[in-house]
Amino acid sequence: MPPALADIRNTVGNIPLEWYEDFPHIGYDLDGKRIYKPLRSRDELDHFLDKMDDPDYWRTVQDKMTGQDVRLTDEQVALVQRLQKGQFGDASYDPYEPAVDFFSGSMMIHPVTNRPADKRSFIPSLIEKEKVSRMVHAIKMGWIQPRRPRDLTPQYYDLWAQEDPSAILGRHKMHVPAPKLALPGHAESYNPPPEYLLSEEERLAWEQQEPSERKLNFLPQQFRCLRAVPAYGRFIHERFERCLDLYLCPRQRKMRVNVDPEDLIPKLPKPRDLQPFPTVQSLVYQGHSDLVRCFSVSPSGHWLASGSDDHSVRLWEVNTGRCLKTIPVSGVVKSIAWNPNPAICLIAVAVAESVLLLNPGLGDLSATSSTDQLLSAFSPPEEPARQPVEWQEASAEEHGHGLRLRICHNKPVKQVAWHGRGDYLASVVAAAEHTQVLMHQLSRRRSQSPFRRSHGQVQCVAFHPSRPFLFVASQRSLRLYHLLRQELTKKLMPNCKWVSSLAVHPQGDNVICGSYDSKLIWFDLDLSTKPYKVLRHHKKALRAVAFHPRYPLFASGSDDGSVIVCHGMVYNDLLQNPLLVPVKVLKGHTMHRDLGVLDVSFHPTQPWLFSSGADGTLRLFT
Amino acid sequence: MAQLQTRFFTDNKKYAVDNVPFSIPAASEISDLSNIINKLLEAKNEGHKYVEFDFLIKGQFLRMPLIKHMEQENISTEEVVEIEYVEKYIAPQPEECIVHDDWISSIEGTVEWILTGSYDKTSRIWSPEGKSLMTIGGHREVVKDVAWVKKDSPLCLLLTASMDQTILLWEWNVERNKVRALHCCRGHAESVESVAVDSTGTKFCSGSWDKMLKIWSAVPTNEEDEIEDSTNKPRKKQRTEQLGLTRTPIVTLSGHNDAIFSVLWSDTEEICSASWDHTIRVWDVETGNIKSTLTGNKAFNCISYSPLCKRLASGNSDRHIRLWDPRTKDGSLVLLSLTSHNNWVTSVKWSPTHEQQLISGSLDNVVKLWDTRSCKAPLYDLAAHEDKVLCVDWTEAGLLLSGGADNKLYSYKYSVTASNA
Repeated sequence: MPPALADIRNTVGNIPLEWYEDFPHIGYDLDGKRIYKPLRSRDELDHFLDKMDDPDYWRTVQDKMTGQDVRLTDEQVALVQRLQKGQFGDASYDPYEPAVDFFSGSMMIHPVTNRPADKRSFIPSLIEKEKVSRMVHAIKMGWIQPRRPRDLTPQYYDLWAQEDPSAILGRHKMHVPAPKLALPGHAESYNPPPEYLLSEEERLAWEQQEPSERKLNFLPQQFRCLRAVPAYGRFIHERFERCLDLYLCPRQRKMRVNVDPEDLIPKLPKPRDLQPFPTVQSLVYQGHSDLVRCFSVSPSGHWLASGSDDHSVRLWEVNTGRCLKTIPVSGVVKSIAWNPNPAICLIAVAVAESVLLLNPGLGDLSATSSTDQLLSAFSPPEEPARQPVEWQEASAEEHGHGLRLRICHNKPVKQVAWHGRGDYLASVVAAAEHTQVLMHQLSRRRSQSPFRRSHGQVQCVAFHPSRPFLFVASQRSLRLYHLLRQELTKKLMPNCKWVSSLAVHPQGDNVICGSYDSKLIWFDLDLSTKPYKVLRHHKKALRAVAFHPRYPLFASGSDDGSVIVCHGMVYNDLLQNPLLVPVKVLKGHTMHRDLGVLDVSFHPTQPWLFSSGADGTLRLFT
Repeated sequence: MAQLQTRFFTDNKKYAVDNVPFSIPAASEISDLSNIINKLLEAKNEGHKYVEFDFLIKGQFLRMPLIKHMEQENISTEEVVEIEYVEKYIAPQPEECIVHDDWISSIEGTVEWILTGSYDKTSRIWSPEGKSLMTIGGHREVVKDVAWVKKDSPLCLLLTASMDQTILLWEWNVERNKVRALHCCRGHAESVESVAVDSTGTKFCSGSWDKMLKIWSAVPTNEEDEIEDSTNKPRKKQRTEQLGLTRTPIVTLSGHNDAIFSVLWSDTEEICSASWDHTIRVWDVETGNIKSTLTGNKAFNCISYSPLCKRLASGNSDRHIRLWDPRTKDGSLVLLSLTSHNNWVTSVKWSPTHEQQLISGSLDNVVKLWDTRSCKAPLYDLAAHEDKVLCVDWTEAGLLLSGGADNKLYSYKYSVTASNA
């Protein structure tokens, strides 16, 4: 408190000043005179005006001892502020001065005190010695015993430890939670939104329904306020139903099988891990002016022979896409096949009603010349056997084009297929009788019709790669004939409407079939006569299927313009089923007259795929 | 904006700047950096003219904003980045367009002449200005590869390999402009895809579709080798068909499992051959053994060897160019892949003067000029061809040649500064 002015020093001492509240004075000065309270005629308005006008109003306080108004100086204000903040009143006082620790733990060079050490610091204490000797004596006398080990037997035990979990008491483990009540919705509100209120017809319909059939078991009602809601009429009824629910609730746990749908999908390897397979289009072989129905890759993988509707056969160099030769033929080329024997350079071409044997004159010169020698070395037998077809030598002009032999059938030829050794040739003829499939022997120029009965229209044939079997695909079935024993070995049922194409796995135990109802059917001959797997990846009819001779790949070309490459791994282990994984959809061919891809085939050594299409091109995918 | 601490340096004394770190915006591109260097050089000497620069960080060309490049290459942005700069290579200037009658299958250029092989069964000699000097016809099939044996004397020797399974050794009298078939090399049983002459010019090797690699003498003689093949054709008939004297191979090396598409001599006694069986084999000519096998996972179309950097570049039947070290023992490690083509790479050729540059031609009609320090983007695309590019060559005179299925041979002038390393 600031010292009051000297002349009005109050002498009442340290007493509560309320005692003077009722008096006009507030104490006595040094002379014993009363100190009167200053006149307090100022009302609240004056206070307010002071507050507004006086800039020092905030620092004016009343001295209760004298009743005077005191204006605090700047130092006093600063002091008040410091105290309010909890700081020291003296601004110059530094509470955080570095402390000088007189007696520190560190050893000083000079001792702080010079006092000699106490005697007790180096003489054993007598009192302690006495205490110890008393304890030693007590131990000797057996008065002090070592502490007994604590008893570790549990205080409580597992009441149900011996219980049989399947016994009736084990039921508590199979706790079935009580069925939950449905949460109330908007319709239960005392003031539901208007869309929840039933109209007159709905209400009538509700009333006419059986109570068990009703969607809501009450009528939504609207009340003005919560106060106006009457007692709930169905309360007892609902409690009773709840009790029924609880005691009728099934006490047996239903074993729900929790199966992640992801687990049901078979574990297939990723296509990335199944490389190599063709992924991008690399080359386009352009030149044909009409749809390319068929093509064949030479056994070395160097050449490509393609037959087209523009009445020509073209020969291409595979790696550059160069057309090396164009051989004109007399009609639409339906099928073409390169002789699989690398020593014979010959292409069989099905054109109209004949099968042409062409020597393209490409590749190994000795092979081409030896092929010509082989063909010219033939001498007709003395008594020509009756043959279903006629073998004709090519004319000189045709010889220049590469044509060597012509096998004239009387009916249009649909397909040709070589046997793996390259001496036998099978052709499919569009005839109604049993002479649909014909076998030709190149070296003896003999032909025969191996079947006596027909089993529907033959679509295509294929030789088994290593054993004397012939696959014959008719519209709805696939038959496997033994050629030496001349009997039917197996009949496979593809379960499709119309078989279009056929390919045999290089090991010979698996066959794939393409069908016009856009299915690809895989048969495992060791497994069953039913399809091992049916792949429905294409959107339209399949036109061609092919196996890769070396890599575990197969492909199918379809009318939707795409080729689908699948990984088809066949294991030597008979117990392991083939693994089929679709790996790539190859697009490139443009649609033409609602036809897309017409033929597919793999390169013999590389993981590459050729396809021919209705747009008159062949494409190479690598 | 983020800043990066960089320090610029160059080997070219002409354009050296002070070795102090600069703080530059992290998003700056080549043009910004080039401007900075030019400003610095201008400040140093008055008469400096504006030069375009290219920038390398840790031996990789900068082709995108600086910060992006550093993110991709995992370079710390905390430290001072060392940026090397070199004068920007001037784009190749188109020189000539020589039109052939048919597809061009192979090119080999010298300083004075360009030899091309074509699908019209002939090979031609052109002057670099595009003048046809000579047409060499004699093969019965497409000419697949050509090579010079001797190119500096008045009597030049050259080789043409063809799909008719023979290689012809020709003598070209430059002054009288006469060509004469000296030898007909018989022995291959399939189309001969590639020939290569060794550095001394006395031997050459050939690779063929019949999987064989054969080594022949390139020295013209007057004797005829006897063929011991078993063709039943009368000898007389053959003699009339054939040009020149018959020659048989000195050595036949077999080992490949598929067609050989490219052969070359990497040393005087060492041959590299690339094949569709996914391998490059390095052969020792003395013993005829395989020294090492480099196995790839795609069929090889072409290889090229640079004696400057001792690397093989291979073009595969996919879109990558791969660099190999032929000295690794049975290693199959790809050192580097150059990726920008969209289709098979049909031919590659190292620069004869620069150890880091090569050109490549592809089925996607584009010829690309590469620097191995920039493996994602080529230095320049030469997109003149309208069809498949089948062959490229790079002459010592700095001429880039490319030929393809559009019957055109394009030549470009490219002045490359010799590598300074």
